[in-house]
Amino acid sequence: MMDKLYLVARIADTRVALRSHAIHSVVTVGTPVRVPAAPPHVAGLFALRSRVFTLIDPHVVVGLPPVPVIPGQRAIVVDVADHGYALLADEVEDVCFIDAPEARIVSRLLPGWARVADAVIEHQGASLLVVDPSHFVTLPAQAAA
Amino acid sequence: MDDLLNDFLAETAEILAEAGGAIVAWEADPADRDRLDAIFRLVHTIKGSSGFLSLPRVTALSHAAEGALDQVRRGHRAADAALVTAVLAIIDRLSGVCAALGTTGVEPAGDDAYVIDALAETGDIPHAPVEVAGVPLRREDDLTAELQNWRSIRVPLPLLDSVMTGVTDIVLARNEFARMLRESGADASLIASFDRLSDSIAGMRQSVSQMRMQRIDKLFAPLPRIVRDLAQGLGKKIRFDTSGGEVELDREMMENIRDPLIHIVRNAIDHGIEPLDERVAAGKGVTATISVAARQSGNQIEIAIRDDGRGLSADALVAKAIAARIVTAGEARAMAQKDKIALIFRPGFSTASEITAISGRGVGMDIVKSNLEKIGGVVDVRNEEGRGLTIILRVPMTLTIISGLMVRAAGQYFAIPRGAVREIMLETSDTVRIDRVGGGELATVRGDQLPLLRLEDVLGCTSDDQDDVDDRALVVIRPGQGQSYALSVAAIHDHEELVIKPAAPMIMATGLYAGTTLPDNGRPVLLLDVQGLLAASGIDASEAARNADAADEAAASRNATQLLLFRDTNGRTRGVPLSVIERVEEVPADALFEAAGRVQVRIGSDIFAVHAAQRPDVDGAVKLLRLYDGRAALCYPIAAVIDIVRLPDAIQPAAAPGLVAGVVLIGGDPVELIDPFWLMAQYGGGEAPMLRQPLCRLADDRDGWGRHFLAPILRTAGYRVVSGDDADEAADVLLCLSDGDGPCAHADADAPVIRLRASIAAAGPDDKTVYRYDRAALLDALRLCVGGGRA
Repeated sequence: MMDKLYLVARIADTRVALRSHAIHSVVTVGTPVRVPAAPPHVAGLFALRSRVFTLIDPHVVVGLPPVPVIPGQRAIVVDVADHGYALLADEVEDVCFIDAPEARIVSRLLPGWARVADAVIEHQGASLLVVDPSHFVTLPAQAAA
Repeated sequence: MDDLLNDFLAETAEILAEAGGAIVAWEADPADRDRLDAIFRLVHTIKGSSGFLSLPRVTALSHAAEGALDQVRRGHRAADAALVTAVLAIIDRLSGVCAALGTTGVEPAGDDAYVIDALAETGDIPHAPVEVAGVPLRREDDLTAELQNWRSIRVPLPLLDSVMTGVTDIVLARNEFARMLRESGADASLIASFDRLSDSIAGMRQSVSQMRMQRIDKLFAPLPRIVRDLAQGLGKKIRFDTSGGEVELDREMMENIRDPLIHIVRNAIDHGIEPLDERVAAGKGVTATISVAARQSGNQIEIAIRDDGRGLSADALVAKAIAARIVTAGEARAMAQKDKIALIFRPGFSTASEITAISGRGVGMDIVKSNLEKIGGVVDVRNEEGRGLTIILRVPMTLTIISGLMVRAAGQYFAIPRGAVREIMLETSDTVRIDRVGGGELATVRGDQLPLLRLEDVLGCTSDDQDDVDDRALVVIRPGQGQSYALSVAAIHDHEELVIKPAAPMIMATGLYAGTTLPDNGRPVLLLDVQGLLAASGIDASEAARNADAADEAAASRNATQLLLFRDTNGRTRGVPLSVIERVEEVPADALFEAAGRVQVRIGSDIFAVHAAQRPDVDGAVKLLRLYDGRAALCYPIAAVIDIVRLPDAIQPAAAPGLVAGVVLIGGDPVELIDPFWLMAQYGGGEAPMLRQPLCRLADDRDGWGRHFLAPILRTAGYRVVSGDDADEAADVLLCLSDGDGPCAHADADAPVIRLRASIAAAGPDDKTVYRYDRAALLDALRLCVGGGRA
């Protein structure tokens, strides 16, 4: 049952479905603090309930130019290796139950998206990419290595 | 049931850890009845609880150990090494079983007959006795008053952590609230009652941090066991004692120093303590001593691990470091004794000549050091060669809270661990002098030279326009032993007790940050990695290099270059190798003129290029250094000559080629080294005026052709021309204009002679004369004779 629960959001200008069990929470971002010399996809740090989160800009991960953070913007919190990260979301739509099976990606994606997308899923007459949020955190580092 | 099992496992793990150390201590003093009783009770407790939970293997194992210990209590059996080894084997087996229980929830199948049989009485196996003293099994009052135990309860760690997080949140909320109260201009009574709330929150925060504290003897508990086993394996006799076990330390901190501590103790046994015969030869007692002492000083805990072994040999360390290519022989010579000892902290350095089973596991002191630094601690070494080594670990009392200095740069705040800060001063202060030299910066603080890093530059940021230049401050940082540098920041904010959390790996990977912290304003702040900043800027901050030993200087002076020190026209002290200077000229200021887009100077009858952007706006005399490269000369205006000194070996090269080749320290002051190569290249090529124009003498110029036709061409080509017997100077070349074969009637006997002929055709193949209108051939011939001149 939980397996079929997805968070539908628009990140990096694209509507995607995120498997809900991979997501810790959805939060509102305050003003982030810059991290000089950090990799480009690190948009900054912000604190929430005495935890410090690293803000990730998915635009950079998929190869788009970075976008400035708007105060009050929503972010999707994921825990990767005991660290809290927040993916900047353009818009968080809803958590919904999608019964359709995840299908293999048949079309050719931009290289940035191809690295983070796992599958496609059919939802309310639209095909959504199923992405693993942790890929946004870990993949750029590997690409740089 | 699960809760019961978890409680049992937690309790048993604690008992087993304690029992191992206690048994070894008891072995050293079998007459200590209290201790034996305590061990017996521990094992009995495990047996009792396991029977209740129906864990047959645990019951059987603890029963066997209990039986053997009971026999000793009743005096039927002596406590010998074999018995202790067997009991320890049981303890190990119990730990293994319990670990499996913890992960799977069921007791694993297995045969324990072997370890239980080992407990049966056997013949005496001779073992080196190990003396252990001073390991408190529990607090003294615990031993005498077990009844006090009911006063403590077991709390799961996650609960403790969540309380801690909750309190931190309360503190943050309080601070926010306090700010709002101040801004709203609330009345005094409201603020007073808020202050009361605030105080009790502060008290609560204090209590919560104390909840995480544990006595450090927990950390010491496994050590006697390790010492005993290793000493037996190596055939060494070691007395081991601990003190200061009552000192309390944050639980997480404890986890972080456990491995380093064990590593250091292993090292001491394996490498520090000599074999028996060596100890005897050195006039030491056969039984070596290793002691571990903890004490609290301020909010730091100091743990000293002392052995009375052979200590470290600086020479051996250096030889090994050179062999391992960690340092070069040259670097090693320049090292102070202290730095040689500090070589053990270099990565890739292992003092063991061969890898042993005990400590040669690829974990070196560098790992110990970096582990400690990660938690804001430091490692210190006190070496007495031949008499022993003391390694001192200094760690903050809690992992989570360190004292930090908040600084501002590029419009945001950063934290610097207070422990690494040696001094703070304003850049405008009188005690500081900042010199911008060769693209780098040097700060001189009361005669000490420090490399200067600007935080904005290291982080790759631009300075914030709003920052007041007068606020800029220097933080003198000592990131490690024998290193220091000055960090320039936009402003110093304040000191704060900071809760440090590790930052995300990709942020740590920059090497610039040691973690993140959340100060009271709720905005995250990055903690700077003071060592990493140094590495990122690629500066050698070692103090040793700056104060080279006198002996090294003497050795180096033999083939050293001499340096002319002078004060430049802009007031800076600069130096240039003496060998490239031909002479120092003093000319009237009006001898300098601008021509062909350049400043030039007329000295006597010669014209030289001057290295200056514009004609110096001074009256009176101008001092010029005349640099000469063997072909061309160039004048460099200076204010005054200061001295001639030896050129030091250590040159901090400039980032890009330019006028300044680098910076050297002369008598403790930074001196910019002029790059003559670069200078000459700027004015090089054929355009540089000849240092001295060759003198052509026109001989036998009877009809004036030479003076009127030839001389202008020669002058354009860069020669000076005299006719007949004019001028006192000896000519460099003689141009003989008479057509005949007769010798030129002039005294410049040794000057080469070029004969010009009037007819276009040569007289024959041997004719060396030059047709007088063949300009090219004439100039070629001249060049051949004297060199120089322009084509």
